[in-house]
Amino acid sequence: MTPVVVRRPGPNGSPAAIAFHTALAVLAALALAGALFAVQGADPLAAYAALFSEAFGTMRGFGFSLVRATPLALIALGTVVAWRSGFGYLGFEGCFMVGAAAATAAALASAEGRMLAPLPSWLALALAMLASFAAGGAWAGLVGLVRTRLGANEVLVSLMTNYVGLLGVQYLISGPMRAPGGLPQSERVPSDVWLPFVIPGSRAHAGILLTVAAAGLVWFLLRRTPLGYELIVAGLNPAAARYGGIEVGRRVLLASVLAGGLGALAGMAELLGVQHRLVDGMGGGVGFTGVVVALLARLNPLAVVPLAVLYGGMTVGADAMQRGAGIPSSIAAILQSLIVLLILASERLRYYRLNPSLFRLGRDRAGAAPGRPAGP
Amino acid sequence: MPPPWSNERASDKDRSNLAVNPQGPPFLEMRGIVKRFPGVLANNGVTLAVGHGEIHALLGENGAGKSTLMQILYGFHQRDAGDILIEGRPARIESPKQAIALGIGMVHQEFMLVHSMTVVENAVLGLNLSIRRLLDLKRAAAALQALSDRHGLAVDPHAVVGHLPVGAQQRVEIIKLLYRDVRLLILDEPTAVLTPQEKDGLFAVLRRLARDGRSVVIVTHKLHEIMEVADRVTVMRDGRVAASVRTSETSPRGLARLMVGRDVALRADKQAVARGPAVLRVENLAARDAAGETRLHGLSLDLHAGEILGIAGVDGNGQAQLAQALMQLCPVTSGRVWIGGQDVTRLSPAGRRAAGMAYVPADRRHVGSVAELSMIDNAALGTQARRARAGGLIRDEGADRGFAKALAARFSVRAAHLGQPAGTLSGGNLQKLVLGREMMREPAILIVEQPTRGLDAGAVEAVWGELLAARAGGMAVLLISADLEEILNLADRIAVMSGGRIAGTLPAAHASAERLGLMMAGAPAPDAQPLAAVEASA
Repeated sequence: MTPVVVRRPGPNGSPAAIAFHTALAVLAALALAGALFAVQGADPLAAYAALFSEAFGTMRGFGFSLVRATPLALIALGTVVAWRSGFGYLGFEGCFMVGAAAATAAALASAEGRMLAPLPSWLALALAMLASFAAGGAWAGLVGLVRTRLGANEVLVSLMTNYVGLLGVQYLISGPMRAPGGLPQSERVPSDVWLPFVIPGSRAHAGILLTVAAAGLVWFLLRRTPLGYELIVAGLNPAAARYGGIEVGRRVLLASVLAGGLGALAGMAELLGVQHRLVDGMGGGVGFTGVVVALLARLNPLAVVPLAVLYGGMTVGADAMQRGAGIPSSIAAILQSLIVLLILASERLRYYRLNPSLFRLGRDRAGAAPGRPAGP
Repeated sequence: MPPPWSNERASDKDRSNLAVNPQGPPFLEMRGIVKRFPGVLANNGVTLAVGHGEIHALLGENGAGKSTLMQILYGFHQRDAGDILIEGRPARIESPKQAIALGIGMVHQEFMLVHSMTVVENAVLGLNLSIRRLLDLKRAAAALQALSDRHGLAVDPHAVVGHLPVGAQQRVEIIKLLYRDVRLLILDEPTAVLTPQEKDGLFAVLRRLARDGRSVVIVTHKLHEIMEVADRVTVMRDGRVAASVRTSETSPRGLARLMVGRDVALRADKQAVARGPAVLRVENLAARDAAGETRLHGLSLDLHAGEILGIAGVDGNGQAQLAQALMQLCPVTSGRVWIGGQDVTRLSPAGRRAAGMAYVPADRRHVGSVAELSMIDNAALGTQARRARAGGLIRDEGADRGFAKALAARFSVRAAHLGQPAGTLSGGNLQKLVLGREMMREPAILIVEQPTRGLDAGAVEAVWGELLAARAGGMAVLLISADLEEILNLADRIAVMSGGRIAGTLPAAHASAERLGLMMAGAPAPDAQPLAAVEASA
């Protein structure tokens, strides 16, 4: 019997094949989650319509989607820089908190009667961003230093630093930075250093513009500069990089600083754009979801922003769905996870193709390869 | 039926009864073998017959289909069409296990041995030993000793494999197969890692096995060895058999023509070039490998403009560390290096490149290139900042593309397009890309390590031509190669490395394979001159 699919010697890497299999994976995830809607007694099509119309159908909803997308995209960009350079950093949750704390400290310093009060507000805002980037860069750069100087495993070390960052912020808001009052939280930062809102009638703030600019810069760095070339070669093949005269250790260290800085900007954007005061649990896992977004974007900086908007939008839509139709928003989380899982699984599909001898109209069936019976 | 390799059998069975009626069918016949991979017809109606007691060479360029044919015979691949007959009976071979049961065994280029275990432990490994019976290593060792004595293998069953030299490890692989009573041995490029003396020893073993009635297939592209040891040779080209002839009725030149389909210059055309001043001086260089073991013990040498200094030696005698130490790519513990009078001892790889060094590493796939990146990006490796605009901050894509294009044209790198990932290039084209990239920088010193390993005759010819052209242009070339033919053809002076030191240096005119072989094996060359004397006479 002629098998319908046969194994390829290598995966099909053409953009069309990747797009096709990704679409297939998303459709499969929608179908599976649709079954869950049906179990809840809801019409899957109507539920999906509610989900997406809330996230992308109204200006207000879309604004929320952008707000959710901003930290995701910045962390995903940090992931792109780090992972492309062969630095398997996973400490973005900690970076996010450190960045938020540094932005809080700088912003509070510009309040009435404090050290930076005489500065114009745009300069204070710029200083807050800079402080945040520097703090995150130093935070992740330490991990880079430990890896390049001592040969430590950056994955483990960076995962551990997440706890240090989270607990460090807990300490700050219950100790030195605690505002008077019952709750462990910092003072509210003065409103003239908030990130300005950019879409009238929505909560979307200037962080999204910063994110788009960052995506462009990361793309330019990696694709158009000798420095980016050296980062990528160091990431793909350290032996070849050293052979080509690239100082791998210094490049990895640079990548760790940039990645940490980007992760910290995510915290800054969340703080100066949304929360306006340092509170515990601000991150809520965004440091890991951002990595997932980067993986979905295949570490392509230009794909990061649209995917982050899509991902953030689904969270927004899910909340609306729960409010409106009473369907648990966890179904949307399941849908997101399914999409990730199935897209990753669809990589295997690219190793197979339809059996070409099926299309030969039996001309030379007899001599055709019997092929291994194959199927995903 | 008990498995054919129970402990009793190896020692109890009389093995001298392999003699066979010469009029009967040959031991192995492969008829009309067809194997199709997607996009490639690897074997297209291949026929191969190997008689009892015959040493049969399988010759062909890379990609000619000889590996595929042997993998079908050994059960790694399934044929799409054709028949395999063992002693006249059709055989199904669907796994290496079945192949061994049918008496077919293979010695791979990379040995499949557990280094921390003894020879006898390696030999019984993988056999279907019954868990109800105790492992009788004593008995197995006795059987191995008997096999070793009988075939002149000189293998101690109780030796730890990791302590044995490469040549002896290869004999362990052979004795493993004999212990399984294999009747046909396939050896894949068996001499690539051997000294000439070890090679002679291997050939003696193979001849004994053949006299014993066993058959041998050696897969190779070394023409002289075929003429020396094989009875018959089958030449493959483009998935077909180009010819199958007795070695007594052919010549190396004839075989080369059959293999490539045209005449090939086996002798490089070397013109006299006036030797220039010394451009590289190395004093007492010592270096360690990645594992921290010292592999280079105080080596000194001089290299002049317009000469090729050949570094001969068996693989693993410090040649790789010499090349890496010269580029500052491995930990250097002592010694000094000068390039044209400038002390570069403390310079980084980038600094040494800037001072005029270029290097073609032996591992072109994993060190010399980045498989995932395009030919354009690979052509830029090492000079990535040179063609940049805005003070070196922005890459000039047009210039990078132009450079890659010029490189591909000058060194005839064949590829579908310049954006093709380097990992998809054939070995020969990749080597031309790496060599061309290093030569396009017009360095004063070019270090090339195993430049033609694994390349087919056409590509070897091209690489040799480029190295000689570089020499004629006044470049100083350090040629590190385990291939004596290559060294003898190209080098002006030859230094032999053994145990991390230079055992002696000869002018090429005084060198021969035999003499170099003795030095490679560590024997003091009777009249090898110290380096200084050679300098004076040259």
